[in-house]
Amino acid sequence: MATLLFEIGTEELPSWYVSQGRAGLERLTAERLTAAGVAFGTVRGFGTPRRLAVLVEDVAATSAAREELKRGPAVSAAFDAVGKLSRAAEGFARANGVDPSELFKQETDRGAYVFVRKRLGGEPVVTSLPPLLSALVRDLPAPRKMRWGEVEQPFLRPVAWLVALLDDTVLDVSAAGVQSGRTTRGHRFLGGQALELPHAHDYEAVLADSSVVVDEGKRRDATLTAAQRVAATEGLTLVSEPGLLEEVTNLLEIPVAILGRFDERYLSLPDEVLATTMIHHQRFFPTRREDGALAPYFVGVSNNEVPERALVQRGYEGALNPRLFDAQFFWNVDRNRSLSQHAWGLSGVGFHKGLGTMADKVMRTQTAALALAQLLGLSEADKETLSSALPIYKADLATQMVGELPELEGVIGRAYALAEGQRAEVAEALEHGVRPGTPGGPLPTSEPGAVLSLADRLDKLIGFFALGQKPSGSADPFGLRRDAVAVARTLNAQGTRVKLDQIVRAAATAYEGGTPAVTEETIGSVVAFIWDRVAGLLELEGVPTALVRAVTADAPPVVTASRRAHLLRALSQEGDFAQLLQLYKRAANLAKQSQETEINPKRFDSPFERPLYEAIPAAKSALRELLVTVRRELAPWDLGSGPARELKNLPGLPDVLALKAPLDAFLDNVLVMVENSAVRRNRLALLGEVSGSLRELGRLEVLEGLSS
Amino acid sequence: MVFQEMILRLTEYWAERGCVIVQPYDTEVGAGTFYPSTFLRALGSEPWRAAYVAPSRRPADGRYGENPYRFQYYFQYQVILKPSPADVQQAYLDSLYALGIDYREHDIRFVEDNWEQPSLGAWGLGWEVQMDGMEVTQFTYFQQVGGVDLRPVSVELTYGLERLAMYLQGAQHGFDVEYAPGVTIGDLRRDFELQHCAYNFTQVNAPLQRQLFDSFEGEAARLLDLELIYPAYEFVMKASHAFNLLDARGVLSHMERQNYVQRLRRLSEGTAKRYLSLLPKTEPPKAETPQTETPKTGAA
Repeated sequence: MATLLFEIGTEELPSWYVSQGRAGLERLTAERLTAAGVAFGTVRGFGTPRRLAVLVEDVAATSAAREELKRGPAVSAAFDAVGKLSRAAEGFARANGVDPSELFKQETDRGAYVFVRKRLGGEPVVTSLPPLLSALVRDLPAPRKMRWGEVEQPFLRPVAWLVALLDDTVLDVSAAGVQSGRTTRGHRFLGGQALELPHAHDYEAVLADSSVVVDEGKRRDATLTAAQRVAATEGLTLVSEPGLLEEVTNLLEIPVAILGRFDERYLSLPDEVLATTMIHHQRFFPTRREDGALAPYFVGVSNNEVPERALVQRGYEGALNPRLFDAQFFWNVDRNRSLSQHAWGLSGVGFHKGLGTMADKVMRTQTAALALAQLLGLSEADKETLSSALPIYKADLATQMVGELPELEGVIGRAYALAEGQRAEVAEALEHGVRPGTPGGPLPTSEPGAVLSLADRLDKLIGFFALGQKPSGSADPFGLRRDAVAVARTLNAQGTRVKLDQIVRAAATAYEGGTPAVTEETIGSVVAFIWDRVAGLLELEGVPTALVRAVTADAPPVVTASRRAHLLRALSQEGDFAQLLQLYKRAANLAKQSQETEINPKRFDSPFERPLYEAIPAAKSALRELLVTVRRELAPWDLGSGPARELKNLPGLPDVLALKAPLDAFLDNVLVMVENSAVRRNRLALLGEVSGSLRELGRLEVLEGLSS
Repeated sequence: MVFQEMILRLTEYWAERGCVIVQPYDTEVGAGTFYPSTFLRALGSEPWRAAYVAPSRRPADGRYGENPYRFQYYFQYQVILKPSPADVQQAYLDSLYALGIDYREHDIRFVEDNWEQPSLGAWGLGWEVQMDGMEVTQFTYFQQVGGVDLRPVSVELTYGLERLAMYLQGAQHGFDVEYAPGVTIGDLRRDFELQHCAYNFTQVNAPLQRQLFDSFEGEAARLLDLELIYPAYEFVMKASHAFNLLDARGVLSHMERQNYVQRLRRLSEGTAKRYLSLLPKTEPPKAETPQTETPKTGAA
């Protein structure tokens, strides 16, 4: 048993990617090792702005021996007229390194083919790991890769070095223009730039000696502790918001907290504006006094232990000051008018030719939001909040503050709403209604906010699609992909259990009787466009796109599709599943030829029909139970970031798979299309029942990739 | 360190690293990226390294000198390296050292900032470099220029000279930066800045600029057909400036704005394609294009 270390050293990664990349690398490593038949123990991932790494314990010395069935040419092409092997079949045998005598025939749902049983495994991991590790660099899911220099292989940011160690042995990996070694790099300013790792186990300790806290969780804790400690020197506590600590953590390799000050006169600004100016622009933690009021101090967390902290502190203060100066100026000017007065200003802002002004857009969004609120069954209280928010939704777009600081759209709407005496729920809906502000940004969590956000983005998608402005290729001038991603993420995180096409249709009511004309085709293509984004997000979670097609074919709610996708992914890792799927497809194919549903057990006249018939109820109820378990295990989550739990050790799985044996026996031994029409219809009905029993998983018959 | 000495130090530093020191171009541009030394030279496979001061005009960014950081006319220091070298981050940090900034004494960060210039059909991924919380440089690996996937990839460093100078000199306002001993930027540029702000925001003759845009566009297209790439591209730059003036004057609706940007983009892409088609045919065969989604397209 050995320990494997693989580190991808990079130029600074985007902070939002560090966690995602670390989790993705953990998952992909485990998947690939499993697929290669390499036994292993725990997989632990690491991530900082300059590196992603995995440490795998208890890696077996050789891969497990196993057999793989490989399909060759069709029987008709494999033999000539006198039954001699054709050149194609001989070539197939040679390519697989077996004697032609080892080829054998087998029926499939596409006819008879020749096959070979290929014996795999038993290779030492020292030779099988290098290509596997190299493929990790290539295949690590990431939303936006780049190229650099003359390197063809893209990655998130340029790859600077690779470390691949099996215990104390260097594995020879080459990827993204870099050759692996045992040399890693410490902190950019504080650590050694050529650190030899004697053994895979030394990874965390060697980096710690070189001022890198490589474990993300430990670094987050250290960051928080350091920031709290400097705040405490003035008797202050930190103010945070979701994501701030994570972002700060993933912008540094070692935290050094610095307390800074700003002019007390800015304390007259509302907390929202003050805090968001510090957080959004500078990623500083605002602070509070004991009595809860904001203090004229902030904590910045540096990535460098400098000789003189006062120098950095002055820099931080100097960077924050003009931001606060601007904020104060806009705050004073904007409040000369109410939000509803600002809303009038939207009619002067163009949205798009054919879709009217911003005011037109807001009006449509209002109609769509009310229709969605009805469809999604919002509570009366939430509906009331929504009604109060609608007339001033996006009114902050017309304020100077947002004009200057567009990323504060919504946040500012909330602050101004509170300042003019709106209810807190209404103010929150205004803020959540424009989320997510960035592709990976936080989602609306209040229901009225989610409805506003959905209505706004669906209105935009429907409008542009109706104008024939669907994105093509890489051209997406109106950012419609981003809107569709937002819709998919919001629906999944809300756990909305209404079918996607119904939701799009409800939003489209805003276009009724107006222009542009929205047809069924428009709605269909918007729905399909959103499903494509769902597939992309699920792919980031490690679900192959082929699986997604199966789970979305019957247009379910988004969260149902994503749960099923993860279930199918878990199932597809069971060896028996691929075979069951193959049999299922044959059954579904045959059953398709009839509409028979009635099964009469008295008409069974072979020993293979009854066992299959009797296996169905158990499989069906097991599957139903499985789906309930999955719903319980996978609470609605932010699609694209992976559900909170992995599906493992699912109860009921063996019962579903138990269908395989009787189905196999039936298909092998029973001729379905017999002359006796009553027996034939009965058998077709039985197969129909079988294929129907797995329907709740999705349209498994569209699955291709798993069948070989 | 006075402003002009910063320019000299950077120039000396990058010249030693094999950059051609290009002199400022004599047409108004919004950024150093517009220079043929960057826009055209980033295309094709020939290695190229250049550094230069790019006086830049952003009519809409003027604030009559009231905002200490924002001006409609300012100097960028632009470095373009093709192919992007493996040690470019360290080379950049060393250039700060040449300016008297010891990176060991500061909190210097490479924070994700992706760059896009739709009117040039150009985008790239990279960072804004922050020094003690203040943005001082844009650092971009170009992925596309003129709508063309780049092979090899160039890296562009754009230093905000005024920002850096304010920091180095502890100046509270861009005008207070000492340009030469005893002479401030304000001495040199205050009247220029105020008068241009007045022009940009209140006196731009919109019908004239619209007409100029149309004429420049037509001329660029005509010259491209004659394979006079450089003169054609000058008209693209002029059209871009006319657009910037209209934008500052506040006479463009959102829709019109998009439309002008699309027209500029078409010209830029046409220029890039013509330029490439006339390069000597020494290009290696193009490999399969990997993912080159534009940054606008979001997470999926």
